[in-house]
Amino acid sequence: MWGVLRGARRPPPALRRGLAKPAGPRSVRQLREAEEAAPVFQYVGKAAKRKDRVFVWGFSYSGALGVPSFVKPDVGWKKPRRIQPTPYRLETEEKISSAACGYGFTLLSSNTTDITKVWGMGLNKDSQLGFQRSRRDRTKGYEYVLEPSPIPLPLEKPQQTRVLQVSCGRAHSLILTDSEGVFTMGNNSYGQCGRKVVEDETYRVFVGHTKAHHTDLQSSEILCVAFSLLGGCLVVSSESHLIHQLKEFDSRVVQVVCGQDHSLFRTKKGAVYACGWGADGQTGLGHYNITSVPTKLCGDIAGVNIIQVSSYGDCCLAVSDEGDVFGWGNSEYLQLASVTETTQVNVPRHLPFKIGKIKEAACGGTGNIVLTEEGNVFVWGYGILGKGPNLIETAVPEMIPPSLFGRSDFNPDIRVAHVRCGLSQFAALTNRGELFVWGKNIRGCLGTGRMEDQYFPWRVTVPGEVVDVACGVDHMVSMVKSFT
Amino acid sequence: LNAAPGRAPRQRARFLPAPGGGGGGATGLVAARVPVLADHPLVRGPRFRRLKIGAGHRLDVKASGVFVLGIGHGNALLTDLYNCHLTKVYTVGGLFGKATDDFSDTGKLVEKTTFDHITREKLERILAVIQGTNHRALLMHSNIDMRTQEAYEMAVKGLIRPMGKSPPIITAIRCLQLTLPEFQLEVHCLHETQQYLRKIVHEIGLELKSSAVCTQVRRIRDGVFTLDDALLRTQWNLQSIQNAIWDCQLKVKTELEKTLG
Repeated sequence: MWGVLRGARRPPPALRRGLAKPAGPRSVRQLREAEEAAPVFQYVGKAAKRKDRVFVWGFSYSGALGVPSFVKPDVGWKKPRRIQPTPYRLETEEKISSAACGYGFTLLSSNTTDITKVWGMGLNKDSQLGFQRSRRDRTKGYEYVLEPSPIPLPLEKPQQTRVLQVSCGRAHSLILTDSEGVFTMGNNSYGQCGRKVVEDETYRVFVGHTKAHHTDLQSSEILCVAFSLLGGCLVVSSESHLIHQLKEFDSRVVQVVCGQDHSLFRTKKGAVYACGWGADGQTGLGHYNITSVPTKLCGDIAGVNIIQVSSYGDCCLAVSDEGDVFGWGNSEYLQLASVTETTQVNVPRHLPFKIGKIKEAACGGTGNIVLTEEGNVFVWGYGILGKGPNLIETAVPEMIPPSLFGRSDFNPDIRVAHVRCGLSQFAALTNRGELFVWGKNIRGCLGTGRMEDQYFPWRVTVPGEVVDVACGVDHMVSMVKSFT
Repeated sequence: LNAAPGRAPRQRARFLPAPGGGGGGATGLVAARVPVLADHPLVRGPRFRRLKIGAGHRLDVKASGVFVLGIGHGNALLTDLYNCHLTKVYTVGGLFGKATDDFSDTGKLVEKTTFDHITREKLERILAVIQGTNHRALLMHSNIDMRTQEAYEMAVKGLIRPMGKSPPIITAIRCLQLTLPEFQLEVHCLHETQQYLRKIVHEIGLELKSSAVCTQVRRIRDGVFTLDDALLRTQWNLQSIQNAIWDCQLKVKTELEKTLG
């Protein structure tokens, strides 16, 4: 036994040293061999797809940006961020195909066939985001929704219907589906949701004593506006969470647009329907009263195939397939002054502009913008129009020089592809995926990183190619594709 | 230069005694022009012993291209040209698949990556974004108040650029050719260094989720001087230099007047 153990414990082999290599710089051959022997990393394969992302910026205390840590920080060292001045990425579960910004709230929708198709965040005092049942009290809903929360829609076939488009107004929102018509939610005091106006309907509007629950002053401004518009009636706490479904149109609805307190529907046949507040003629039905049922518009657009409708404030524009533009509604800011002197136009009128065939139009609160087939952008109206601080108002469209969008001898084929309008901001998307904004910089909504107003188109640096942008009063949402 | 016939020696009037005459009697004085002895070349020595040569924008060892020099009184023009802040154009060649520590192909290897997913479309997208962000930087560093009408008008014409110190700005960039793994870019820039351009190549590689090194940096234009005005190594003789200076004089003068007023 001892012999075996003694045999097992052999002395450790002497440490051998090979012939020492000289230190000194390696020769070219050695370097090349070392390079060829180095491992190759693969970060992305040939079939890598570009990812879709959502970026938000602007005023965050209303919850409209969908980032709860801006309003209520989750970690001690974070401070509440009132304004997000540059684009901030919002994580979403699904690919968002359509987004809309209202007055302090946002709707995002995806065209999946899953059960959850629409998410909403921001102000929910008029149930414009549907009824978000509060976890603390099952009978009440949330006033401010800080994170994108799913909106349950009463669909008949929830796993087959797809949501095509969403649109938001001041306190109401519209959701367009492909086979089940249009769903409307929110404030209906002017019939903008397409259902009969109910006297003293309540949407959770409280009087001033609950100011302590609000985190800032802006929300109380909106609160006061809503309060006064409802005629100053005192309300009690039950919420109206009706999601109304509209199906009676002559053909399938292909576009929905919300103005401030009215709604416009464009059908496949080229007709336009409207409902809601009409005191500025924005319903275009020939009178200045409230309409609670969507009614077809006549006037200069009767019989014309309209391919796009737009509105955000109290003025509306429609573009026909032949490139003509029609307008109705508020004209206090010279939006329709080229055809009429009256400040309220309640019948659609053809605007005879000789600027070429018009492809797209967008209406803001006081200014309008159109895009022609050649890719030129024309603005008119009142406010910061984008041609420097000297141009404050004009009734006739003025072109914005394409060199401001990056066109030069070096890049002669840059064209503007889309135009969008917020309340007093404009946004233009080029065919290279760049986003240009200009207008009043209300609470940082332009996304330029500065707080000053921008008098001519300015690039917003977004890490990706911008596919679409939605402009609101004080925030913006953009859908972006990553580069690689 | 010294071999060229110099200035004729100065002459001055001197009163010399008339030749002949001599003897007795009145010496007649004749006015004659006589070369001053102090001006004689053997007394003065060669006319040019040193030349003041100043260099324009720097070009480092690994780069090549147009390099502007000023001689003598031209050095004052060099400072003026610097204050004009004109753009320079470079041809930058790059190679995908490698990353080195000094961003050029002679450096120490850091990483090797695949690059077969790179297409011309992706590269152009990245270049468009680089151009966009640099255009913004151009407007921001030019220190003009954006709220004035003059700023708007200059922005429309594309004349806004920083007229003082600023970080390197690329005013335009485009892809001349892309044959994997090599590619070539044309870059118009302001206030840059060649190492900055190599770093841009490296960053383009990173954005495309691969890596890139810079193989060639060649300046093809520096303000008003292009490759056609440049003299090759074989042309560094007095005649060509004089011709080149003569040809460029007009161009430089007009550019200075246009920019500095």
